[in-house]
Amino acid sequence: MTPDLLTGRVGWVLGRLLLAAATLLLLSAVIFTVTDVLPGDAAARLAGPDADPAEVARLRADLGLDRPAPERYLEWLGGALRGDLGVSAISGRPVADVVGERLPNSVVLAGVALLVAAPLGVAAGLLAGMRPGRRADRAVTGLSVVVVAIPEFVMTVLLIVVLATTLGWFPQVSTAPLGGRPWDAPAAMVLPVLSLVPLGFGLSARMMRSTTAGVAATRYVEAARLRGVTGGALAVRHVLPNAVQPVIQVVAVLFGGLIGGSIVVELVFNYPGIGLELQQAVGRQDLVMVQGITLVLAALALASLLLGDLVAGLVDPRERR
Amino acid sequence: MSTRRRTARPRLAVPVPLGRRTRRAAGGLGLAVLLAVALLALLGPLWPGSPTAQVGLPYTAPGVDGRLLGTDGIGRDVALRVLHGGARLVLVAAGATVIGVVAAVLLGVLPALLFPRAGGVVMRGVDALGVMPGLLVLLLLAAAFPGDDLVLMVGVAVVSVPYSTRVLRAVARQISGAGYVEVARARGDRWWTVMLHDVLPNLAPPVAAETGLRFTTALHLSATAGFLGLGRGAPWPDWGLMVQENLPGISLNPWAVVVPSALLVLLIVGVTVVADRAAARLGRVTA
Repeated sequence: MTPDLLTGRVGWVLGRLLLAAATLLLLSAVIFTVTDVLPGDAAARLAGPDADPAEVARLRADLGLDRPAPERYLEWLGGALRGDLGVSAISGRPVADVVGERLPNSVVLAGVALLVAAPLGVAAGLLAGMRPGRRADRAVTGLSVVVVAIPEFVMTVLLIVVLATTLGWFPQVSTAPLGGRPWDAPAAMVLPVLSLVPLGFGLSARMMRSTTAGVAATRYVEAARLRGVTGGALAVRHVLPNAVQPVIQVVAVLFGGLIGGSIVVELVFNYPGIGLELQQAVGRQDLVMVQGITLVLAALALASLLLGDLVAGLVDPRERR
Repeated sequence: MSTRRRTARPRLAVPVPLGRRTRRAAGGLGLAVLLAVALLALLGPLWPGSPTAQVGLPYTAPGVDGRLLGTDGIGRDVALRVLHGGARLVLVAAGATVIGVVAAVLLGVLPALLFPRAGGVVMRGVDALGVMPGLLVLLLLAAAFPGDDLVLMVGVAVVSVPYSTRVLRAVARQISGAGYVEVARARGDRWWTVMLHDVLPNLAPPVAAETGLRFTTALHLSATAGFLGLGRGAPWPDWGLMVQENLPGISLNPWAVVVPSALLVLLIVGVTVVADRAAARLGRVTA
């Protein structure tokens, strides 16, 4: 392994990690610019329109806004690396505390939705891709196009109307018990999870279908078919092992996508996740909070993409690009 | 005939999403629905009356006082708000699509043709932006510039740029490596002549296909932004926002939620079907 350290597996992994770090650095600069530099004087905004100029100047010095932006950016970045994302100027709470409290709730929501949706999507995509153009394929493709096209909030409202308002099976909001976690009341988690499932199903079914169709058209599958292997055995033994590998990447991409989708679902159900917190921070103009949460979510999306890339590349060297 | 079909099967197995006849019928139906909803959205605001004025009691049923869809939570005319609430969505999405595709051509196509080395660097930056979930970009911008439709439009465009740039760059590289372009270069044609006569005519169909597909996602994202109250926001009518506003009173006047939801679904699914069909016809290229 030593001679090809930089061209082999280790080098490739190191390269991926470096690229991810550079990407995150670039994103952090973009996030900082949008929330700190572009909006202008935060001190004047906090003090209100009829504040005394001396008061504004004092506030500016307190917040450290009298120093140049690059210096503040480096300080923010250094803090973020140590787990300190600053303190909200509006609620006075450290951003890292809020993230630590809310993020697990969102990760569990997206994770459970993924566990339900991905196997269904993979199974449906396999079924569809084995025989492109046949009835099963048209049904799965049509369904996945429609569920991906329909906005998440419409799907969520539909579920609420049917399962909460009309049938009364599940609660319409899922506020966590005081001091507890949402999963302490599992019934309240059902609707938020179900709202995310169609999106996850549609995306994974679509991707699984196209890889399966590609594999099903290869010679070795045709050979197996001619040998008399059919149906489930053909799909599971000959096609799936060669088609499931991209699915690892799909799952990683989906996880990032579901974190985004859960922003909507959390608002509808008043679910105490990071997405709801972010929306409230946007509404309050709490820019320090928005900055911190956005950075964490961007890092999370990047990490899941990276993980998918790494797993795919280690399993199959052809995926190392 | 039957033997021919058998030998041809493996090649047919390359992705063909829908049967041709189903595809055509679905496309035709999608187009009709789409035109109807688009007309309603774009011409609706011409209907006289103020969609923000309180005209009656909260959540009155359809038909009361001659109001077709009743009133919403603060007694505004739902039918009037539906008529006035679609144009902004369509215009924001259309504007974002145009900005996004133009940016993708500038970032993906021009470097690929003119400065092939710089293209890779541009791509790295664009890819980095693509890591951010779309809604995250919109929320970030809304925090810095609250209540601004123009910023929302730019945000939706920014979300689409990484995808479009990747696709169009792949097309451009394919074209610039083609024999006829090399011949034109070798006989000493100026770069702009090559661009105008050899590259652009071949680039137009994929750009058109990409525009349709991006319009679909732009509509989806703009509708969600409306639902979250981003952009111009309350008290102005918007189909997405109406769904959010009227959800608490859904048992009192369900039409205030159902009608805007249904219109959104018809519009977005309709555009998706038509754009997919057009893209398939124009030769969709995926990167």
